[in-house]
Amino acid sequence: MKFDVIIIGAGSAGMRVASALQKAGRKTAVIGLGRSINEVEVRPYERLGGTLLIGDSVREGLFEGNRLTAVHTVNLGAYPLKADRFVIATGKFLGGGIVADMDRVYEPLFGLDVAYDEDRGGWFDASFGAPQRFLRFGVRTDAQSRPSMGGRTVENLYACGELLEGISAVDGREEIEKSADKVLAILTQADHAEA
Amino acid sequence: MQKRNISPNNFEQCVKCAICTDFCPVLKVLPDYPGPKHAGPDGERLRLKNALFFDSNLKYCLNCKRCEVVCPSGVRIADIIHSARDRYGDIHPSLRDRMLANTDAMGSLATPFAPVVNGTLGLGVTKSVMDGVLKIDHRRTFPKYTGRKFTSWFRREAASLQDAYFRQVSYFHGCYVNYNYPQLGKDFVRVMNALGYGVQLLDKEKCCGVAMMSGGMFDAARRNARINLASVASAAKEGRVTLTTSSTCTLTMREEYPGVLGIDNEMVREDILLAVRFIYEAIEKGEAKVAFRPDFKARAAYHVPCHQEKLGWGLFTRALMELIPGMELVPLDSNCCGIAGTYGFKKENYERSQQIGQALFDDIARVGPDYVICECETCKWQIEMSTGVEVRNPISVLAEALDLPATAALNQRTNFALKEVQS
Amino acid sequence: MQEMLKEYDVIIIGGGITGAGTARDCALRGLKVLLIERRDIADGATGRNHGLLHSGARYAVKDGESARECIVENRILRRIAPHCIEDTQGLFITLPEDEETGYGLDYQKKFIEACRTAGIEAEAMDPREAIRWEPSVNPRLIGAVKVPDGSVDPFKLCAANVLDARLHGADILTYTEVLSLVKEDDTVRGVRVRDSRTGETAEYHARVTVNAAGIWGQAIVQMAGARIAMFPAKGALLVFAHRVNNVVINRCRKSADGDILVPGDTVTVIGTTSTKIPFEACDDLHVTPDEVELLLREGSQLCPALASTRILRAYAGVRPLVASDDDPTGRSISRGIVCLDHATRDGIEGFVTITGGKLMTYRLMAEMATDTVCAKLGVAVPCATATTPLPRTIERDFPAGSPDGMLVCECENVTLGEIRSAVARFDIHSLADLRRRTRIGMGTCQGTYCIRKAAAALAEAQGRPADAERLAREYLDERWKGMMPVGWGDTLREMEFMQKVFKAGAPSTFK
Repeated sequence: MKFDVIIIGAGSAGMRVASALQKAGRKTAVIGLGRSINEVEVRPYERLGGTLLIGDSVREGLFEGNRLTAVHTVNLGAYPLKADRFVIATGKFLGGGIVADMDRVYEPLFGLDVAYDEDRGGWFDASFGAPQRFLRFGVRTDAQSRPSMGGRTVENLYACGELLEGISAVDGREEIEKSADKVLAILTQADHAEA
Repeated sequence: MQKRNISPNNFEQCVKCAICTDFCPVLKVLPDYPGPKHAGPDGERLRLKNALFFDSNLKYCLNCKRCEVVCPSGVRIADIIHSARDRYGDIHPSLRDRMLANTDAMGSLATPFAPVVNGTLGLGVTKSVMDGVLKIDHRRTFPKYTGRKFTSWFRREAASLQDAYFRQVSYFHGCYVNYNYPQLGKDFVRVMNALGYGVQLLDKEKCCGVAMMSGGMFDAARRNARINLASVASAAKEGRVTLTTSSTCTLTMREEYPGVLGIDNEMVREDILLAVRFIYEAIEKGEAKVAFRPDFKARAAYHVPCHQEKLGWGLFTRALMELIPGMELVPLDSNCCGIAGTYGFKKENYERSQQIGQALFDDIARVGPDYVICECETCKWQIEMSTGVEVRNPISVLAEALDLPATAALNQRTNFALKEVQS
Repeated sequence: MQEMLKEYDVIIIGGGITGAGTARDCALRGLKVLLIERRDIADGATGRNHGLLHSGARYAVKDGESARECIVENRILRRIAPHCIEDTQGLFITLPEDEETGYGLDYQKKFIEACRTAGIEAEAMDPREAIRWEPSVNPRLIGAVKVPDGSVDPFKLCAANVLDARLHGADILTYTEVLSLVKEDDTVRGVRVRDSRTGETAEYHARVTVNAAGIWGQAIVQMAGARIAMFPAKGALLVFAHRVNNVVINRCRKSADGDILVPGDTVTVIGTTSTKIPFEACDDLHVTPDEVELLLREGSQLCPALASTRILRAYAGVRPLVASDDDPTGRSISRGIVCLDHATRDGIEGFVTITGGKLMTYRLMAEMATDTVCAKLGVAVPCATATTPLPRTIERDFPAGSPDGMLVCECENVTLGEIRSAVARFDIHSLADLRRRTRIGMGTCQGTYCIRKAAAALAEAQGRPADAERLAREYLDERWKGMMPVGWGDTLREMEFMQKVFKAGAPSTFK
């Protein structure tokens, strides 16, 4: 199955992008491991005809050069979901967008480059109420909101929401929306350019 | 004791966000039910401390899997609950549980006398007996047992014609097709034949076991699981994938055999597929060609059954149905119909079952379709009984929408016309 | 400032297990008792250990006397406090690499013999049988010995002693700090204290004052004008998120770091390390990354599953190690019980110090201290603590569906009724106090899910509903510190969730 845009992540940023694109007549699909704990409404998106794969997650990406061409999911097995462009908005640690082991932090789906402190000493403030540095870790993008793998930009993958370095839901609800709107604007522009 | 100290499921990934509790259809109508979070991951941890934390209210879990679908941590909540019923629940299944669970046995006993049984099942007296003695709710319309099993029909009418096809699939028909609704099986054979596939039965097919698990008969379910997996494996060895027309049988064999029964199915898991998915993929890859009837017209609502939602394959059914010219498909909102297999048949669950389904019934009324499309037989009973709207399996819809002879011609690899199966 | 004066037979300083046990013993012998604790009962070293009910096997080879003490007390505790104990039994395992360090199967023979000499039932077990019995044990084991270890809930045990002391007439003052000892010439007459919440000071007099303040007892001795050389040794432990093993697993070799794995209630605890620390550090212990790594590495040798099991938190306690008298270097540290009558030792009347020892031998320590007190007071009532059962600490049976049966903490199955019962029976000022009485917030989510509800319930029970938010915040700070050293994997996910729930607004399920 081929879509115009596949959005990975069904949180507030992902659904914001997906709903707007679907409304604008694009064929989209959203892949989300469960519902966002922020209780993001998905029914309007489904009623717009969007394809919602909830309870599924991306197992691996298929790349051609610096372009992501398709993804494999856990539920669909060997059946690939193809798209021209992809958006990744899988959240931070809680959403599984980035994962911390004892000795590293990584992005589990594609191995995107993640910005974080190597020295764990500074991750936390002992006061629960104080700002916590670990909530700033995330995927680093270029000016076009595109993340990189091993320093090389993925040309048709765009990141937004809490997955991004510097943005946290704890104090950044507006930042999350802004990052989603930025991706939306870039995708819309790209469509115009192609048309 | 030590067997109970190991949990094969990933309950520790739970962060206690409780979103599963929000989406649990049982909890909405039965506040005494501990809810998926507490019955599942919380309970598992407590049961590892002491088996006495097992709560018999776990039997109220519908196994609709909605908790698993919404869980942002990927916890196999329903599997945890059902494994717990297996490991801790000293459940003594009643005669009623056995009767509903052994769909094979009950079907086999009933079929030769179908007119009598059906007549009996329709009688007030018998219903009262069922209500009183067996505790099957008298308000239920019981699925009719057919006079001629699907397998008998197949052997007599279809089997000899199948070897002529240049490619083959196996068919896991399930109890419902065999005993209650052979027409779906016949539709399946006709569609597959038209697409150029011969259909074979499995060496040995047993009930997938879902009803046994629901009734607490886990060991019996294990026996069936082993037989079915062996049959699927032997079909795979001969190059045949095993197709199904029931989302529940599919989920059970693919997910619950390992998740609840602890039976490894890794070798054959990908060989068990819903026919809709297989057909859509074949069409997409150009391996099968389709010709539709020009006069077909329908407005249908698509209800994704809970187990199809868990499989995550609803997109295939939708895409396949949308290939049909003249089909106006309206996806329904995601809701559980409330029957959950044999769950809704049990007297103590009847009211709850109907309450749970209400949102879906209302949604169907909102859409007002010609019929509802759905891959699950028990949803079909529930929706038809509760709304009066007919429910069709997507394969039956396809059988009607396809121009079968024209389709057969497109997929023909022989220079003589193959005989069409008569149903 | 309000001054009060009350007279007691005996004042006991320290609401840990030793002080609680001594208060109970004294009260059972008919003395008029005052127990003073600067924070909450079981807040110090008592609540910061494995919770291991030693069989004594661990000490059998090196220290037969400690081993004997342990097995005797082990049997006593099983009788008097069955509700605080889980009879898990224990395994001492030998791994192939132990052969190279001289702790192979020859050592195992010596170990079994030493156990039997000390009166401990120790039985060699076939490794395959050991795996069947405890499937989580390292399958590479080449030898196993079964011993009567168990686990003990130190919070409950301590609270039961305090409660029983009170039932026998003792007064209990928690959150009360000793400012100084009241001395007349060379006699200790009592204590001057300050209520740490109100700032009010008071003076209490008694014929004998018992110092049972653990590591903090060194300062109390100084107040009396004497000296004792104590060496604080930090022991770090990790709590795993569920009960991984059902049998205590030890390594059959010379005691080392991270070689005991204890299943207790819903969790498994690995410990411990041993690091000398300065006195100033005793009130603010941190578990270091090195300690975490060491415990994980050693723990995985006992039970490989630990390497991939979620860790709830890390914590540390301080062992009150005491130097034998007149040795300020600490070279001859004793792990045994030290009961000092300062009259004979330092010429100070009316003052007794009970220290050293361990959780396992608290009752014996209490008996020794109480015997000393009684001798001074001329009381001849014999000790009855070895045979008198301890009471249940709080009511726990509330029917589901009743208001009191409402679940508050779903991880640990704590009901509203239990919270109310704890508040009624104990002096509870914080959610941490409540946790030590009920296990509330000790589970997987460390309070994320229930702490608002718990705080509201506690604040309401105290008649100060406006306090709920403050109580929750304090508790979160305390939980946070324990999670920081193990902040990765699912624990880190939980930490992010915690931050979200309390800073960005909770999902509707939480309201």
